[in-house]
Amino acid sequence: MRRIESQIDTNAPDYKANFAAMSARLKEFHTRQHAARFERPQRDNDRLARQNKLGVRERLKLLLDPGTPFLEFSTLAACREYDGAVPGAAVVTGIGIVQGREVAIHANDASVKGGAWYPLTVKKIVRLLDVALENRLPVIHICDSAGGFLPLQHGVFPDRYLGGRVFRNQVKLSQANIPQIAVVGGHCTAGGAYVPTLSDYNIIIEGTGAIFLGGPPLVKAATGEVVGVQELGGAVMHTSVSGTGDYRAATEQHAFSLAREIVSQWKRMPKTIIETAPCEEPYYDPKELYGIIPKDRKTQFDMREVLARIVDGSRFHEYQPDYGTTLVCGFAHIWGYKVGILANNGVLFNDSSLKAAHFMQLCNQNRTPLVFFQNITGYMVGREYEERGIAKDGAKMLMAQGGSVVPKFTVIANASYGAGNYGMCGRAWDARTLFMWPQAEIGVMGADQAANTMADVKIRQLQREGKELTDEEIAAIREPVLERYKRDVEAYTSTSEIWDDGILDPVDTRNALAMSISAALNAPIDDPHYGIFRL
Amino acid sequence: MRRIFQIGGEETECWLAHDGSRFVLNTPEGVLPCRLDPTTSPGGFVLRARGLVRDVRLAAGPESTFVHMDGRTYEVGRADPAERLAGSDGGASDDRIVAPMPGVVVSVAVKPGDIVAAGQPLLVIESMKLETTLAAPRDGVVAEIPFAAGDSFGLKDVLAQLAPEED
Amino acid sequence: MTISKLLVANRGEIAARVLRTAKARGLETAVLRHASEQEGPAHVIADEVVTIDGPTPVAAYLDIPQIVEVAKRIGADAVHPGYGFLSENAGFVAALEKAGVTFVGPTSDVIDLMGDKVRARAFVEERGFPVAPSAIEDDGPATFIERARAVGYPLLIKPSAGGGGKGMRVVRADAALEAEIEAARREGKRYFGDGRLFVERYIERPRHIEVQVMGDGKGNVVHFWERECSIQRRFQKIIEETPSPALSPEQRLDICETAAGIARAVNYRGAGTVEFICAQDGTFYFLEMNTRLQVEHPVTEMVTGFDLVAEQLRIATGEGLSAAQADIPQTGHSIELRICAEDATADFRPSIGNILLLDEPRGEGVRVDSGILDGGKVTTDFDPMLSKLIVHGSDRAQAIARARHAVQNYVILGVTTNTGYLDAILAHPDFASGDVSTGFLAEQADALTAPGENVDDLLMAVAALSDERLVAEVMQISDMHRKMGGWRN
Repeated sequence: MRRIESQIDTNAPDYKANFAAMSARLKEFHTRQHAARFERPQRDNDRLARQNKLGVRERLKLLLDPGTPFLEFSTLAACREYDGAVPGAAVVTGIGIVQGREVAIHANDASVKGGAWYPLTVKKIVRLLDVALENRLPVIHICDSAGGFLPLQHGVFPDRYLGGRVFRNQVKLSQANIPQIAVVGGHCTAGGAYVPTLSDYNIIIEGTGAIFLGGPPLVKAATGEVVGVQELGGAVMHTSVSGTGDYRAATEQHAFSLAREIVSQWKRMPKTIIETAPCEEPYYDPKELYGIIPKDRKTQFDMREVLARIVDGSRFHEYQPDYGTTLVCGFAHIWGYKVGILANNGVLFNDSSLKAAHFMQLCNQNRTPLVFFQNITGYMVGREYEERGIAKDGAKMLMAQGGSVVPKFTVIANASYGAGNYGMCGRAWDARTLFMWPQAEIGVMGADQAANTMADVKIRQLQREGKELTDEEIAAIREPVLERYKRDVEAYTSTSEIWDDGILDPVDTRNALAMSISAALNAPIDDPHYGIFRL
Repeated sequence: MRRIFQIGGEETECWLAHDGSRFVLNTPEGVLPCRLDPTTSPGGFVLRARGLVRDVRLAAGPESTFVHMDGRTYEVGRADPAERLAGSDGGASDDRIVAPMPGVVVSVAVKPGDIVAAGQPLLVIESMKLETTLAAPRDGVVAEIPFAAGDSFGLKDVLAQLAPEED
Repeated sequence: MTISKLLVANRGEIAARVLRTAKARGLETAVLRHASEQEGPAHVIADEVVTIDGPTPVAAYLDIPQIVEVAKRIGADAVHPGYGFLSENAGFVAALEKAGVTFVGPTSDVIDLMGDKVRARAFVEERGFPVAPSAIEDDGPATFIERARAVGYPLLIKPSAGGGGKGMRVVRADAALEAEIEAARREGKRYFGDGRLFVERYIERPRHIEVQVMGDGKGNVVHFWERECSIQRRFQKIIEETPSPALSPEQRLDICETAAGIARAVNYRGAGTVEFICAQDGTFYFLEMNTRLQVEHPVTEMVTGFDLVAEQLRIATGEGLSAAQADIPQTGHSIELRICAEDATADFRPSIGNILLLDEPRGEGVRVDSGILDGGKVTTDFDPMLSKLIVHGSDRAQAIARARHAVQNYVILGVTTNTGYLDAILAHPDFASGDVSTGFLAEQADALTAPGENVDDLLMAVAALSDERLVAEVMQISDMHRKMGGWRN
């Protein structure tokens, strides 16, 4: 495979300006991420200490193999909700390594609102369990939750993908022979009681862990019975009387040591075999991505320069290099795993759509996972393109993409607008993981375009009413719309709402993709089959 | 991946990793890339670490590794932190011995106030045609033996109670 | 008289050492073994291994009727007692005599005489050999304290029945004398069941020098030169060497002739050792005579070229000594190190365990008299000495260099041994210059057990990398996840 010949001049003023802009963005990103992970009001830390509990990060440290990676999902979930008071949506999720095995981890963060379930908490947990189901990853639940956040119960409880979905997914995991362990390091009350009870194995930490459908206050209110936490649902009772608990742990250390021991008992399932090559670091320094991503989103850049800083040895075998050139397609390796890459180098035309559909069929045929690098403003519009059947060609691309049986992974590298988001495997299209870069945007169209469109509607309405508008008046209508829209399409909004699996520092993309691919290979790859292509 | 090593009475918790090309021992003092290759002598190896190359002879016992290096012999105790924690499997023991099923007391070996050692027989019961000796779950003092020889008891009746442990 | 079958009534390295010579001389051989005892080199060498019982293993080796019965039952016509156990037990000699079995050693009356420190001293003094000023309680208990005072300070109080340093007390001032005498008496009673004492002049910075003698019981006595045994810890010898670096040729001849003279005075038969205490100015006094082969006899063999066990066997059969005094050279220098299972850094606590790997040093001038085998087990049933490392060099410096090289390459893994401590002694400048006394180890205790360069990290690396379970756990992590290490997004 040939090495991409980079055209980047790292001394160019543009490069340096881009680098500075991206560095500033990343500084903000890392600051926010660190705060979401570690910064808590003193009283919350004090409370945990008083309860003799470890923080969720310490718990992960005890659980995970030392010196192994942890791919954390949606660290900044809920960062734009609940007044920013529920960092990470009060839960940590991700893929980590325990006794050499990949496991999905769902860990309540009791330092945030006692680990209460907010609407986005539920969304984040359900997403994690979807990841576990799709990739056949065993799940380790670390339970320590005050229960559903009652003032927002309408966003936590009733709908299809809300609270009940957590338990439904647990059942589906069990049904699919995917093991689960729950470590009960706090209270599991009401619905929460089903997390450990639906797990194949559960461990209750003596003194701090408890499981009950109704806690002591509720029991007293309901029946008048006065009963203590330990008698009602403590470790001793559940492991010796009710059989609800499997293992009683004397300490947190003991609990996670037991969990690790349980994982080591599991049968090792062979992973799906795909093409691999010896791993090679990228030839070009991934940090150069900072200078390649333009500081102005509307500036065009060559996606090959991005790929050269992500794939093994910067090597890329390009498919149809001279056809449909607004979409770069080709093969590369990431941490040795062979992948088929689709990367936008402009608007999608008829030819680039057809090229995409054909290339994806190739990858499905030879079991090559797909990686999408999005920088897409949409499919080309206009009479000529409609006449050429752009909607029909776009449909072919969607049919090939949506019908792909190989695992798909998406990086929203810059713009992700309109139907281009669909064609390039946006959130609705079951990418196994989907990450955004911090400057990227996602929306039905670009901010200016959207603001203009929305403002125009208003202006035309006023004009129909016979009002003549000055430039200032037009701006006064347009500006607030633009401001609101700009915020709504930002990566922080996307990640807050869990439209993605997290924002990535671009240099982490290579590892995040490799972790995702490796995890995906725990699930088999089906034989290729598609719907009907509109030819 | 973790081990507690003991040298001269001092314990150090370390973890071992392998970065694809070499082993790395992570100690509280820092990170030590290292490798150990066998030689032709019995128990002979060449250790490479810290830029040093050392001929060593070693023998691993169940709890210690003995190392001969630079003319000196050392004993390095090894413990798996997980196995240490396993000592607390089951958590704190109960003070009560509860009848696992209904039956009759055959004999009683102790009386309240007796000092007993863990494992010491307290009483013999008969249930379902089987005689079972019930032993003290821990060292302690007998607080109560509610039944005498010949008495019947029911499921979950307390057959013996130790005085609570003082912390 | 001939010997055709020899029973070695001992164990460990000395049994193996005696058996080697016996076999080389064409004797049939047998050795004892307690039921709970590990197999040792002696059991491999001997033609026959006889199991003995006893409430403790040591008790079995001290069981005279049982051992005499074994000798008769297996048809042994001679018994070699080694050292320790029954080697200086007149009752054993008498019992063997009664059973018609030859004892390879002196007569019982000599053993008796020399076994009583008080009588031995009086005997030697009466014949004009030098003894330190002293007072014996038995000579007049009423005047004992006065006579003790007359010896002068510093003085040493010893139990009459003692040995091995137990119950000995140094008194430096008159005020403490009476209290110390009472304390020594209590200890004597406790250790030996005998509260009788004697007092002698205490020599500052003394050296312990002994002379190997051998007599044929017919009046012929020769000496095999001296051994310097000042490297002692609590009166237990650790390192012995010959020649002594402290003696001038005249002093050497003087002390050796004195020893031979004492042996002649008792018409000594067999191998014996006359021990002297030497002041820094070279004056020496008789201490005691050991009527057996000594632990440290190999250094004598190394410089004289004689096999002392072979000489013992010749004497026992009446063949007599193989050499006259003039034929016994003292060539080069020899050092013996006692390899013990003990932890020098933990107050010499005996160490137990399985010998997981044993690799003895080899090379020119290196001899190992070992009582252990690879795979064996070290228990506390017997004393902690595992083996002896003996080296020979053309001069003392070469001997020290060889001893250091050999002890550094003596690989015994599985039990803690004193090899590092021995090397530290050899490396000490005072040892190199020969400026030592019996107090050397105590004075230098801290320096000799000082920790070396901190290599804990290297040791932990070795322990980790040789831990197969740990390595397997690490290697079960996929290559990619290992290479990524602790990456976090």
